Amino acid sequence: MDFFNIYSISILFSIFFVIFVLSLVRRRKLREQYSIMWLILGFVTVLVSLKTNWLEALATYLGIYYAPSLLFLIALLFCFAYLLHLTLVISKLSDRVVRLTQELALTQRTAHQEQEQESDEKLSAKAEGSVKL
Amino acid sequence: MKPDVRVLVIIPAYNEEGSIGDVIRNIRAVSANIDVVVINDGSKDLTVEVAQAAGATVVDLPFNLGIGGAMQTGYLYAYQNDYDIAIQTDADGQHDPSYIPNLIRPIVDGEVNFVVGSRYVEKTTYRSSAMRRVGMIFFANLIRLVTKRRVTDPTSGFRAADRNIIRMFADYYPVDYPEVEVLVHIARNGYSFKEISVEMSARQAGRSSITPLKSIYYMVKVGLAVMISATRPR
Repeated sequence: MDFFNIYSISILFSIFFVIFVLSLVRRRKLREQYSIMWLILGFVTVLVSLKTNWLEALATYLGIYYAPSLLFLIALLFCFAYLLHLTLVISKLSDRVVRLTQELALTQRTAHQEQEQESDEKLSAKAEGSVKL
Repeated sequence: MKPDVRVLVIIPAYNEEGSIGDVIRNIRAVSANIDVVVINDGSKDLTVEVAQAAGATVVDLPFNLGIGGAMQTGYLYAYQNDYDIAIQTDADGQHDPSYIPNLIRPIVDGEVNFVVGSRYVEKTTYRSSAMRRVGMIFFANLIRLVTKRRVTDPTSGFRAADRNIIRMFADYYPVDYPEVEVLVHIARNGYSFKEISVEMSARQAGRSSITPLKSIYYMVKVGLAVMISATRPR
């Protein structure tokens, strides 16, 4: 049997992908919550590459003549779903960045004001002291 | 003007060093009881220095948030510092501060929660481009469709808000092109607004940020936001 066929390559690639995702989580480059989807994708690819007849059977059941096109469809839907999820995350992050920026600017303004008041008080205290002397 | 009513004017500014000094001085000339806060939205010019020299309080955003984020900072400031009325005005000098007493009177009298200075309530000398008029009619009809209220100048940025509206804006304010959406938001939350007639002049300095492509995005974005907000529970 020829070892370097498309199935063995995709199995190897999927296993490498899963290990890579796990190592990203281990090095805290990727959050666990976002890694789950990628791990599922990795395992599904391994499964589909090992049991090609499962994909064939599902394709036949759904009336799809060319089995890989079912794979494309699943992959595409997965990508769309994940992109939507990512834009949700970005929206939440943007809202938080805006609010943090506003609070930071306002807090800095207050701190600045208090500092000015303090130095004013010190100056007037000094002035009073000099009058007493 | 009643001395016990605390009034704040919010001026969001992005690279407006050429006009902001006069805008602040003109406001302070109207009444000494009015505080002015300039929200510097990441300007790269001398906006902060000019505004401080003219006697305004400056809140300095570390980078550009856009008009909605900057305006909301002003309302947050008004809310945290317990102002009774917050007025918003443009930094380019097109809003005449001598209308401020007229603008806040309906709020002081307890008549409405929110007042918009309109160029079109009565015939004024203001003339606008055809594109602008098309947009104006589109937005006015959109607002009437969703809120059943007539508005003549939905994109006017010369406005006054009472305590209820200040608190509401501190919590939520649209990110970009907020003017139209804000009116719908106010109506949907059971608050009242009215328009009063004001004259507006052409901008003193700087350039309008609206390009043809942006104005299409403007209409689509605001149209979508307004239609969706109409389906939200009150």
